[in-house]
Amino acid sequence: MQFRPAYLALAAAAVGLALLPQIIVAKYYLHLSILALIWTIAAQGQNLIQGHAGYVSIVQAGFMGIGAYGTTLLGMHFALPVWLTMLLAPFVTALFALAAGYPSLRVKGRCFAIVTLAYNLVIFIVLTNWTSLTHGEAGITGIPKPGGPDGWFDFRDRATFNCLTLILAGAMTGLAWLIARSRIGQTLRAIRQNEDLVGAIGIPAWKYKLFAFVAAAAFAGLAGAVYAHYQSFINPEVFGLAQSLDAILAVIVGGSGAIAGPFIGAFFVVFLPEYLRFADAFRLIIYGLALILATIFMPRGIVGVASDLWARSRRGRE
Amino acid sequence: MMRKLTLAAAALAGAIAGPLGGSSAAAAERTLRIGVSDALTGGASVYGLPQANAIRMAADEINAAGGVKVGGDSYMLDVIAHDDKGNPTEATNAVRKLIDFDEVKYILGFCCSGAASAVASFIADEDAVMLVGNAAERSITARGIPNLVRTRPPADYTGAAAGAFVGKRGHKRVAVLGALDVGFYALYVDAFEKELNKAGGQTIARESFGLKDRDMTPQLTKIREMNPDALLVVGYVEPAAFIYRQSVELGMDIPRYGFTSGSEEQFLRVATSEQMEGVWDLRPTELTLQSATETGLACHRNYTERYGMPPSPSSPYAHDNVHALKHAIEAAGTVDDTRAVARALRELAPPSEAVMQYLPVDGKMFDRNGQAYTANGAFQWRGGKWVYVEELPSDAKAYSEFLASLR
Repeated sequence: MQFRPAYLALAAAAVGLALLPQIIVAKYYLHLSILALIWTIAAQGQNLIQGHAGYVSIVQAGFMGIGAYGTTLLGMHFALPVWLTMLLAPFVTALFALAAGYPSLRVKGRCFAIVTLAYNLVIFIVLTNWTSLTHGEAGITGIPKPGGPDGWFDFRDRATFNCLTLILAGAMTGLAWLIARSRIGQTLRAIRQNEDLVGAIGIPAWKYKLFAFVAAAAFAGLAGAVYAHYQSFINPEVFGLAQSLDAILAVIVGGSGAIAGPFIGAFFVVFLPEYLRFADAFRLIIYGLALILATIFMPRGIVGVASDLWARSRRGRE
Repeated sequence: MMRKLTLAAAALAGAIAGPLGGSSAAAAERTLRIGVSDALTGGASVYGLPQANAIRMAADEINAAGGVKVGGDSYMLDVIAHDDKGNPTEATNAVRKLIDFDEVKYILGFCCSGAASAVASFIADEDAVMLVGNAAERSITARGIPNLVRTRPPADYTGAAAGAFVGKRGHKRVAVLGALDVGFYALYVDAFEKELNKAGGQTIARESFGLKDRDMTPQLTKIREMNPDALLVVGYVEPAAFIYRQSVELGMDIPRYGFTSGSEEQFLRVATSEQMEGVWDLRPTELTLQSATETGLACHRNYTERYGMPPSPSSPYAHDNVHALKHAIEAAGTVDDTRAVARALRELAPPSEAVMQYLPVDGKMFDRNGQAYTANGAFQWRGGKWVYVEELPSDAKAYSEFLASLR
């Protein structure tokens, strides 16, 4: 078997994240790591539609909301076990995305972004105003964690929960990688290059776009479900437009279309604002400035910059 | 592709390695760190920033008086404040940082209900005590979390008193214009409506606006066509001020009631005193010069001198929490045993330094739910000032039992 440094590096990153509880001093970073891994799942979904198909979708946080409320309400009203509701959440979200996307996602270009933005607004309004079901802005508290003190694993312990999110984020990254390498992934990239040409050779581009949209929603639904059971509290505010923009930024900053891009971007959008707490009132200004600069000077994201630097260093050695 | 993965993994490792290098600072001897999580930026900062200021001021008052005295030692309070923007996830991050990184055991602030509820969902499992200020959502104390107390009474406690007051004034057809997407405002209106109905009145409209909306003339025009006896406005100060201004501009000459807890200065940034004339604010008896006790007047004076502006009426909730915490720590005789301090908080009588006028339940500032109650008051805008007109009938003990019954 041929030795590949990339496999070694990825394995080291995974082992490092798994051993994070033993390495770090303050469990605060473990909390941020869990959030970043949850955002990795959502951003991997975003990458399918944005990075591969080239369509900016502004509804990823809304779909996270459907997943979060889906798992919570299924557990509350049907007394289903947490593991089952978490498993069902991405499918529930995908069904919503299919129902919403089928009639309306034949649009192209900027119209696509506007349609998805409208979806996010509608989801937010429904979550806020259907108070008999969602408890509105007051939110739902006391959402149980999987397992329990008597189970094999106690997921109230953040180290254990970190392992769970790491496994889920790894699995969903693997799934995204498989989709990207498949014929579907190739077609999505062809749509990004020239959608008219794809249509001209008889491929129904809208079906592939719909697939990417529904798959992205399923990823987000899972992320939302994990978020709900981790935080034990949800309200609509967490699933608004600002959070959908975070998912878009994670893909752009990490590296659009690259499998590792969303992973890095998710850590970026979770860790950077926390790093900047020292800046007090200037925190969000600096964060916004950093994002603008990153978008202007790193159009291919961190992965793109790292790739260029690696190529340059190799040329130098030769 | 593989090369990109290698580089990406290396970049990620670098990103994580940075923060791991830092370690939490050890608490200095006889210094007690207290944390603040509040909306220091964004729309809710009109409430959050004054709260954080009030906490710093109260901590300095305590330090100037010799600190918190425990077993012969004196602890000086050191305040660490983090911005949660009133957002649940941000509040969770801020509190995690305070507890895990800054090693804080006592956390105050919380002007927003969503943020407070998110933290309340896990605080019971933490070695910490949460002292909520201005957040008014009922569910925060309905669960009776043992290490959580709140100084501001829930919105429906005040809404019921307000409904009875408006009913008593003979209004039969009241139109509501409020930020009804926000849970505790809806709670206020529900309780208001119930009491108004008992007095033979009814709400003929429930129009909503967003917290960032500034043009409410469409809703007001619709309401004007319905010929109501009175208008009830519930929401943040800024949008409420725009409503009062626009109602005058539209020629609506009806009594205007509100639930905003805004100061004179906050309203006058948007509306003129003439446009505000006659407006009622039906809210807990918070800090205004007309309603203040000697302690309140001193608080108002000190705050104004220190920050160059008067305090918002609701900011003393957080101020009082700091003094309650000091007395509870001294009564418990420990700064480390948070359970003992939490128990002591529930046994505490309102401290003499308290600015708000609390109604003790069984002689205690916080009831078994961890909830404190103030009197409710009717304030009216007269000649550029909020004037305290009368106390609204409020039964703290009955509400306390009702709150406990929700569990």
